[in-house]
Amino acid sequence: MYPRPIGEYHRPASLHEALQLAGSGRGGAIYIAGGMSLMQALKSRVAEAERLIDLNHIAELRGIAEEDGGLTIGAMTRHRDLAAQAGRLGAYEAIADAAAHVGDRQVRNRGTIGGSLSWNYVAACLPTVALGCGAVVRSVGTSGERVETPIDAFQKGALTTALEEGEIVTAIHFPRAPAGAGSAYRKWGIVHDALPVIGVCVHVQTADGRITGGRFAVTGLADGPARSARAEAQMAQGFAATDAAAISACAAAAAEELSPPGDAWVSADYKKELIAQLGREMLALAAARATGG
Amino acid sequence: MAQTIRVVVNGRTVERSVPERMLLVDFIRDELGLTGTHQGCTYEGVCGACTVHLNGEAVKSCMMLAVQADGEEITTIEGLARDGALHPVQKAFNEHHALQCGYCTSGMIMNAVDFLRTTPAPTEAEIRHALIGNICRCTGYQNIVAAVAAAAAAMRARAAE
Amino acid sequence: MTTMHKPLIGTSYRRREDARLTTGFGQFIADIPVANALHAKFVRSDRAHARIRRIDVARARALPGVAAVLTGEDIREVIPSLPNRSTQPLLPAHYPRHWPLAVGKVRFHGEPVAVVVAEDKYVAADAAELVEIDYEDLPVVTDPEAALKPDAPILHEGMENNIIFEMTLTGGFTPEEQAANAREVDAIFAAAPHTLSRRFRVHRCGVTPLETRGVVADWTRSGLRVWMSTQRPHIDRLVFSDLFAIPQNMVHVSAPQDQGGAFGVKAPVYREPIMIVHLTRLLGRPVRWIESREEHLMAVSQERDQIHDLEIAADDEGRILALRDRILADNGDSCEGVFWGFVMPFYGAAMVPNGYAIPKCDIHVRAVATNKSALSPARAFGTLPGRFAVDRMIDILARKLGKDPAEVRRLNILRELPHVSPTGVHYDYSDYLKVWDKLIETVDLAGFRREQAAARAEGRHIGIGFGTSVHASGVASVALVPMEGQPGYGSATVKIDSRGTVTVLEGDAPQGQGHETAMSQVVADMLGVDPEAVIVRVGDSVATPFASGTFGARGGSYTASAVALAAKALRSKLARIALHDARRNEEPDSVTFAGGKLIAGDGNPLTTFADIAERVIMRPLDLPEGMDASLEHTAFFEADFPMMSYDAVAVKVEADPETGRFRILDVTVAADVGNIINPQIVEGQTHGGIVQGLSNAMFEEFVYDANGIQLSSTLEAYKIANAADVPPMHVVHANTPCRHTPLGTRGMGEGTPGPVPGALVNAICDALAPFAVEIDSLPIRPDRLWQALRAASAG
Repeated sequence: MYPRPIGEYHRPASLHEALQLAGSGRGGAIYIAGGMSLMQALKSRVAEAERLIDLNHIAELRGIAEEDGGLTIGAMTRHRDLAAQAGRLGAYEAIADAAAHVGDRQVRNRGTIGGSLSWNYVAACLPTVALGCGAVVRSVGTSGERVETPIDAFQKGALTTALEEGEIVTAIHFPRAPAGAGSAYRKWGIVHDALPVIGVCVHVQTADGRITGGRFAVTGLADGPARSARAEAQMAQGFAATDAAAISACAAAAAEELSPPGDAWVSADYKKELIAQLGREMLALAAARATGG
Repeated sequence: MAQTIRVVVNGRTVERSVPERMLLVDFIRDELGLTGTHQGCTYEGVCGACTVHLNGEAVKSCMMLAVQADGEEITTIEGLARDGALHPVQKAFNEHHALQCGYCTSGMIMNAVDFLRTTPAPTEAEIRHALIGNICRCTGYQNIVAAVAAAAAAMRARAAE
Repeated sequence: MTTMHKPLIGTSYRRREDARLTTGFGQFIADIPVANALHAKFVRSDRAHARIRRIDVARARALPGVAAVLTGEDIREVIPSLPNRSTQPLLPAHYPRHWPLAVGKVRFHGEPVAVVVAEDKYVAADAAELVEIDYEDLPVVTDPEAALKPDAPILHEGMENNIIFEMTLTGGFTPEEQAANAREVDAIFAAAPHTLSRRFRVHRCGVTPLETRGVVADWTRSGLRVWMSTQRPHIDRLVFSDLFAIPQNMVHVSAPQDQGGAFGVKAPVYREPIMIVHLTRLLGRPVRWIESREEHLMAVSQERDQIHDLEIAADDEGRILALRDRILADNGDSCEGVFWGFVMPFYGAAMVPNGYAIPKCDIHVRAVATNKSALSPARAFGTLPGRFAVDRMIDILARKLGKDPAEVRRLNILRELPHVSPTGVHYDYSDYLKVWDKLIETVDLAGFRREQAAARAEGRHIGIGFGTSVHASGVASVALVPMEGQPGYGSATVKIDSRGTVTVLEGDAPQGQGHETAMSQVVADMLGVDPEAVIVRVGDSVATPFASGTFGARGGSYTASAVALAAKALRSKLARIALHDARRNEEPDSVTFAGGKLIAGDGNPLTTFADIAERVIMRPLDLPEGMDASLEHTAFFEADFPMMSYDAVAVKVEADPETGRFRILDVTVAADVGNIINPQIVEGQTHGGIVQGLSNAMFEEFVYDANGIQLSSTLEAYKIANAADVPPMHVVHANTPCRHTPLGTRGMGEGTPGPVPGALVNAICDALAPFAVEIDSLPIRPDRLWQALRAASAG
């Protein structure tokens, strides 16, 4: 299928230029990042673009940098560049876990973290990692005002974010994690690397071999990624990082709490079971990474 | 509703006026007549038959607009052989019977070539993971994986000479 | 000196097709350049069952660049409906009347309702959005059992119920004979020490090829020219001729040189090509339609979808004494030329006994119309659900008897061949037990059982499962005429030109089977020429002799045989002329053709192949008496007996009883495919068939919601196995040369996917035997396995 007519195509070289184009008061502007979701929408005609603004040539939106002991990832950084960071992301290995299995090689060569977060699809990996790792989304509106939004406030539900019209995500910041932190992400789909039926990101804080707190985020839910308060409460109460029973109980609490919708392919019961399975695996992996095990 | 673009395709610069909404794959096939790049999906971009190189990297040409390629370099399957000599991946596909109907082959080869550029000595599991974006209906993949492994070995041997 | 001639048949000669296909120079349907062509786009029903109140095409027609917009009302008086004489088989059935566009009402989500033709494919898509259709919804039936109920909505006018086809395949041809047979089966069941009864269900899935369908049609003063993706260009030509009342000799249909797979999907006579032909006649310009993947997944390529209520009676050792099967196929709207959905389940029913020695059977099949796409052929052609049912049942029986399923299966494998099955299907001479034993030896069953016991002691669960498949090696006319109204013979023309190069013309239309390579090997061996100098032309209704097409493993059986016969006739003629020219009196058979030369029995060269070709064609003087200058020979091959090939498959898995996840360790196929022309091609097709079987079993599923809305019309939703999803595969052979073909070859490839799902599920159940899990339906995914494990542990 073919997109509906596109009125204008612009290729700004700077953020400033992009914002000016979007903010010209005419409306109807859509940004294209990697385009791996947007092109599906344009081609299937569920979306159309009067004016398409291509962010692929804005150098300032790309790159991975250390910042105050944390990590700042330019919005237009592609999945394959994130995947290449595996083993070097410290407390945020979950980013590489997810990026290495988004779609396929060709998709990873184009797709970006900022695009994925802005689209916020119900079965997407990077938004779940951002939520699980407590990221902060940096953006700038057409007025030029720079905004920092905690991920929990940024994600507003399926395909919905706090972004206002014309606002661009510039970077995703992962704050400095104290020593003894670690994270992990894994998904399960019907075929290898398919869109996740369920994906789980766990970020743990440990001290002296014990989990002392953390975040537990799940994708595959009806309203976009969500955290499990019950699992996180158990993590806050603390348990030994290698305590298989406690890990299972923690993941089971998440499965109990969250209600993924059943569909023609996978039952709701099994999706809950997947939360428990993947939750166990990711808790154990994140804890092992956090404790250097 | 149209924009002039200049693209280096298989080493030659082409200039065309194209509608903004034209897909890159249609530009390649319909405007340039390079029909070796195939299409197998409607809009989902899953099958990988349309894979080409954008500045040397494998991308799906059905998931980009032609205007996005303005000023860039595109290589299609037709441009892979150099000076009449087949690329080692092309040769290996024949030797290992890695194709039957040939419809997925162009995209499969283009992806494999980019993969071996970044991963010259892959394991079998890495090859299989790298080919996820290219669906083949005929071969069951086994011979494709063997061909990519053999091409990698041939390219390493050549590089060592 | 005679140079030893090394035969090419039996060698993995590298594929000749690959030179163009690996460099981007293949020519598929969408690549065919036709100047000035209009682009067609079908507007399809967005609901499953509704009356069409009104269609407003004014806005679509008004869009600049739109040449025409047509609806069913525009064509119902102009294009004859199907069925017609060239699309209706001889089997007694309801053949629902239909046109290329819906007339009056729509019967499935995705049915063509209107067609837009425009200068540009983007504009055609724009215009299609502007067609406004006012529907009145009707009650929807999406389940075959619901469709049988007295109060079910009836899809087709003039029918009293939704039963499209119903047949008892055992006992004889009269109801009395069949009833007598059923009573005998009942008596065996009553007396048998063991009886089992299960319901097996295989979901709707198929083998969608990577290339969709496409048609380019051009009506000119000299007639109708059509290029189309098709497995049978000669049949399409016949249908267009009949429907549009154009003499057949003015209709020229070509399948492109390259087709991106078909696997059965490109065999039927569908609505869209008929419409495109009508449009080029109406508009006087070439018209082009390239199907989108969404259309393809919604309108065609859906098969399987059968329920088998299967019962067996067995003795204490596990020998099956009788089988009873009640088959119900979800036939969809059933509007599909030649196959009508039901031909596949009919054939599947006929093949239920498979390669097992079952003395008595009572098999009945019904195909029922529902608000879904008609079943269309997919590799394994109707047999996959029956293979699944019977091979699962043998394992269930073995478990009940406490025996190894391999042992029980071996006990039941047919030993006496040739054989006529209880459904009347002829199997030619072979040795199935030899194939089975080769499989067991290759997988080292005894070693695996030890490994399995050791793994279980460690808490790991590995298992092995088996399936088998007898499948048609080509379809003989005696079967194909009633089933599809078409002949089964193979045909080919071999032409030698005056410079000694050779052309093979075959009326089939291959889609990846490697005919150019395989037929070149046959010709090169027969005529002693360089295979690279042989050209194989396929799929052209004018250039090639009539043939029913590429399907049902006809290539290695029927077509290769025709090529061999044609080449043999020319060889004999050339030998006679060469001997005549040399004033020698020997038998033509004494002449060897090798290395481009003709060599006499005493080793002396007679002439070169090129010289004799030129001499016959260009200097036809002093030819042997009664001989003409033609070096073109057309041969038709009809086997004197229907032929079969045979597969036995083993799947090894590891399963996790906690999560329901499982991993396939490897798959082994042992096969009898007769003498092999090209081992590499045979092995490659076997790999592909295995993965199609696995992908059907685990991933692929056409999903309709309760309102008949299709939810699987993208490759994101209709999931096909990728490279990371498939296990290592091993292919071994225990061949018995076919007695009925000149080269001893059999056809292969068609049947391969059939026994794979049963073998997979048998393996999973074997791995999880300690948990007493039984899986009787597909697809098999961790979800279902986990649910079954939970149910089993709940007791």
